[in-house]
Amino acid sequence: MKIPTPVITLIVGLALAVSLLVSSMSAVSGEKTARAQASATAAANTVTVPASTGPSAGAAASAATASPSPSASGSGFVIPPHANYVGEVQGNLGSVAIVVHDTFAVAYFCNGKTQEAWFRGTPHNGNLSMTGKANSSLTANYALGHARGTVTVDGIAHVFSIIAVHKPSGLFQSIAVVRGATVKAGWIVLPDGTTEVGSIEPDSSLAVPPAQTAPKLDLSTLTAQDGGTTLTATPIDGETGSGF
Amino acid sequence: MATQWEPPAPTRMDPVQPSSSARLLVVPVLVGCLVALTLGIYGRLHSPTGVAVDVIGFSNGGTVKSVLASGAVVFAVVQVFTSLVMYGKIRWAGAPSWIGGLHRWSGRIAFILTVPVVVHCVYALGFQTFSVRVLVHSIAGCLFFGVFTVKMLALTRRGTPGWVLPLVGGLAFALLVLIWFTSAFWFFTTFGWSR
Repeated sequence: MKIPTPVITLIVGLALAVSLLVSSMSAVSGEKTARAQASATAAANTVTVPASTGPSAGAAASAATASPSPSASGSGFVIPPHANYVGEVQGNLGSVAIVVHDTFAVAYFCNGKTQEAWFRGTPHNGNLSMTGKANSSLTANYALGHARGTVTVDGIAHVFSIIAVHKPSGLFQSIAVVRGATVKAGWIVLPDGTTEVGSIEPDSSLAVPPAQTAPKLDLSTLTAQDGGTTLTATPIDGETGSGF
Repeated sequence: MATQWEPPAPTRMDPVQPSSSARLLVVPVLVGCLVALTLGIYGRLHSPTGVAVDVIGFSNGGTVKSVLASGAVVFAVVQVFTSLVMYGKIRWAGAPSWIGGLHRWSGRIAFILTVPVVVHCVYALGFQTFSVRVLVHSIAGCLFFGVFTVKMLALTRRGTPGWVLPLVGGLAFALLVLIWFTSAFWFFTTFGWSR
């Protein structure tokens, strides 16, 4: 029986989809197995992380090359390729979020008022050295479940030690053009899943854009009201690659 | 020995199959609905935290998917244009003998280009509702593959009414463009080309 060519088209598409799906599933389960094994061995080791406040604090992660599968370093740390870290900085002077997705990392610091900065950088073996507007900087070491480092904004250095989070906690961003100006807002939803802090740059095209308190983010709809405009927040999520 | 006399077979009053009927579409439409529902329900129920397979740098997906989707739209435009020529709607272009082949092959290429994109989208991102853009994209995405299935299966049946192929083909194109606007277009305008 001759199969009609349109049916062949459907069958070819379906076969391609199934093979991609199956390899995706095995890639994900391979990653999960590697993480489970690595965290089991890491828990068995006693690990001491030196209190690191400078960019040279790469001692925590030894030479494991960053690759799409998580790498286990010699001291038992697993460096995940995709992760979201969120938490408050020491002294409760603000919150910081770090999102890692393969070769890109985005971070955000804000105190919910005028002090905030976006950072971009490239992760190297669990180390991050990122820069932002007006000489702000963020350096951190991260591994599975935990990140620590220092973020310097407006001349003040804040030390932080934060944990990995999943939805609904994380970093959210909204970029919108309102009356000709590019308005950029960032929200950090803390690990409790409900507390959110955010700042907004009313004109992010400036070299040093000033900031103010962001309108409250509605976590069920991921929108916020800025005057008459509804801002829609997109999650910046290292695990799905959203926002990158 | 008398042969057994049997009454003659009754004459069929109605033809077995009507000469042209939309009823031929029932099975294709049902299959299409099944495809659309499967995509949507799977996308919604399965927790989309995984990354997809790292094919051609796929796990860093936004740019690759947007480029593939844009390629699919380009071939879909060729689809629409060739179908207009085949139906005689373009006066300055006669219908050369290869126009049908171009139509079919541009369609096949467009469809195959969408397959890796939809696998990554549904598997790694799921059916999302957190903004209007992603809701429209999720719904249009499910509907597109259902409609495309209907079009393919309708082509296997002779005797469907003349309006079926243009309607289903046009609907597929409209859905694909809607999908592209709510994803690749948004991606390129938000993040630019250089990622």
